[in-house]
Amino acid sequence: MTTMERIMGIFDDPEQIVRDLKAKGKKVIGYRCLYVPEEIIHAAGMLPYSTFGTPEPITKADSYFQPCACEFVRNIFDLGLDGKFDFLDGLVLSNTCDAVRHLKNMWTTYIGSVPCYMLNNPQKMYDESAFKFYRHELEGFKKTMEDLSGNKISDASLRKSIDLYDETRRLLKELNELRKRDVPPISGAEALRISMASILMPKEETNALLLQLIDEVKTREIKDADGPRIMVTGSIIDNPTLIELVEDMGGVVVADDLCTSMKYFWYQTKPNEDPMDAIVRFNLERSVCACMHPSEERYDFLQEVIGGFAVDGIIYFNVKYCHPFVYESATFRKKLEEETPVLALEVDHSLSGLGQLKTRVQAFIEML
Amino acid sequence: MATKVTTPGKKSLETTAEISKAIKAYYGGVKVAKEEGKPIIWSYGLTPREIFHALDAHVIYLEHLPLMVGAKQLSGHYIQVAEEEGFSRDVCAFHRCFLGCAVASERDPYLDQFFVDPDIIIATNLPCMSESKSFLYAADYHNVPYYFIDAPINTWGQDIPDYAIEYYTGQLKGALDFMSEHGLGTVDWDKLKEAVSLSKKLILLWNEIDKCRQAVPTPMGTVDGLTAAYPLIQLPGTQLGVTLFERLLKELKGKVERGEGIIDDEKLRLLWFGVPPFYNMGLLNYVEKYGAVVVKSMIEYIAGGAYDPSIMNPDKPLESLAYKALVDIVNPTSENMVNFIRRTVKDFHIDGVVGVVKRSCGLLPGYMRPVKDAVYEDSGVPTTIFDLDGLDIREYDDATSKANLDSFIEALLASKRR
Ligand code: SF4
Ligand code: SF4
Repeated sequence: MTTMERIMGIFDDPEQIVRDLKAKGKKVIGYRCLYVPEEIIHAAGMLPYSTFGTPEPITKADSYFQPCACEFVRNIFDLGLDGKFDFLDGLVLSNTCDAVRHLKNMWTTYIGSVPCYMLNNPQKMYDESAFKFYRHELEGFKKTMEDLSGNKISDASLRKSIDLYDETRRLLKELNELRKRDVPPISGAEALRISMASILMPKEETNALLLQLIDEVKTREIKDADGPRIMVTGSIIDNPTLIELVEDMGGVVVADDLCTSMKYFWYQTKPNEDPMDAIVRFNLERSVCACMHPSEERYDFLQEVIGGFAVDGIIYFNVKYCHPFVYESATFRKKLEEETPVLALEVDHSLSGLGQLKTRVQAFIEML
Repeated sequence: MATKVTTPGKKSLETTAEISKAIKAYYGGVKVAKEEGKPIIWSYGLTPREIFHALDAHVIYLEHLPLMVGAKQLSGHYIQVAEEEGFSRDVCAFHRCFLGCAVASERDPYLDQFFVDPDIIIATNLPCMSESKSFLYAADYHNVPYYFIDAPINTWGQDIPDYAIEYYTGQLKGALDFMSEHGLGTVDWDKLKEAVSLSKKLILLWNEIDKCRQAVPTPMGTVDGLTAAYPLIQLPGTQLGVTLFERLLKELKGKVERGEGIIDDEKLRLLWFGVPPFYNMGLLNYVEKYGAVVVKSMIEYIAGGAYDPSIMNPDKPLESLAYKALVDIVNPTSENMVNFIRRTVKDFHIDGVVGVVKRSCGLLPGYMRPVKDAVYEDSGVPTTIFDLDGLDIREYDDATSKANLDSFIEALLASKRR
């Protein structure tokens, strides 16, 4: 079996990892989203596990959330109501958007089986008072993780976890830098699968596999690479179908700006003697979400990716009712379009109405 | 086919008519200030307004424009302008409407009376995401400096930790410095203290006004209440706000003493949870044919009308304002909102809650089910929930809205008879 096949297998059945670890007595903490420091959970001896959604239709959650709440959040809540996250020992959310804020309320009120914690991250970057506030919040979070795991988190253990996660980010970035080539070695859909599997796996294992994978794909070239080079951005995409759709229509997805992929690994922590401070700065000195201020930083990041990966066209996939990204795409679109064509689409998280999307994507790619 | 029948709300009080005049006068003052070359600020009702008094700033509170154009049935037009600008229908209708007003190449004469281009924008993220994000677009469009006040969400209930107060205080201080740097002069701390002291008076009066409204029959329904809440939005920290509330209180006390309700035979008392139909406030009077009165609307409290006055300490003005913002019932995700509705149902002797879902709102729809369950568990009072976009008239169906109210009220009356 190639390393690529192994990673694809993990993507297809990520809960296998959890089952194995739980059998060995390890605790597993679900989390959403990039503002939850996995390193703290890891340093407490537990597995941080990113809760992705499924394309299943929503059933129970609709009598709690109105259908006008982001479908991704309703999907997660639906899975929670159904007991699908009962293997978790806790769920940690961060302060990103209105929908996730409500998820915290709903979860605490209606799902007793898994305790839910809200990490109150500021939505302002580069602000001394925000650093201070966030440090307090992180100390509280650290204490909660210590209590839950029964393990103390020392500076040394936290430093070790940060190094481990930085290595994952570095390796994923190195792999994805290969997509800058005229003919990329991996497709956009493969890149998303690799990234999501790497996010889910214990990082000790991820890093070893990524090292092998980089070696394995170095000489590879994807087929049909003569179409326009596309960057995909927008709300969460936790299903490669959308990327496949773009690639089936002749686009070559060379880069993305997704929290399930490039935004996860593009940045590293900066050297800092105090590991907690390193996490504070990591989260408040990089712009990975449309919820953060100022927004120029995110715009600059998009420009860096557009230039670096020689992007010909941008597709915004906004999950319906995802306010942060719906506003952002309207705000950025005009500026981006001055140099690079943009297609902004609203999608259901369950990917219903794919046929209509196909037509619009096809027309966009033909236009490029 | 949607029916578009709209009627203005029927107000009953003299003081609310006076308050309407004060609104016009306020905006007239902003226009004059602009003509005199003074900087104009755009902000939102959940930015602590008292900080603006410390700088004698002239401010347009942007949530107000949609309400005003909504009442004149013009919101659909401005919403359309925003959609043509690229804003999806998923974006809050309030903010689409405000953005439409902000970027329209031509404005109708009514809006033109109030509209003034900004020189500075002070935004915040309370109560929702839309606040900070739509203002970013406006700042870009008008090419003006923008300051963002980050409000931590409330994960603590009533017990706000010092480090959170310190953070928000720092944000307010940052906003003051920013305004000073952009042509608004130096901060007058005595004025700020006085503003906090006047705000405290305002909320004490509002609480007394609320007590009067708890009387059966109620002397003031929410049609008047929504106008009466205006001083809470724009005039906290001013003597004018206090004076208007003193007059309102006097008028209400007289009505309570005389046992005068807003309708003759009050049989049912309703609480409106969600955004009322600003383009058709007459819907709130519609229920009166059943002897029902919409006594209160949660929106009356949207700009900070539900906090304990004892937290306001003029000697610590910024800390007081921080506390007030962080315990605000609309600050997600604490239980403060649900507990507040629970209390309101009891205090105002409510028989039924009308929960209306504005499809594009990121905040209130998420409270519907928890409010419904908590109120029922607490007092056995039922809640009906249906779709009604209070601002986008294109989404409004009068016949369906009335049918929803009819069946709910009939059920309430039937259970009263049993
Ligand atoms: S998709 Fe958008 S609205 Fe939904 S959880 Fe993510 S950021 Fe929030
Ligand atoms: S709370 Fe809802 S209605 Fe109000 S501004 Fe936010 S999204 Fe719009």
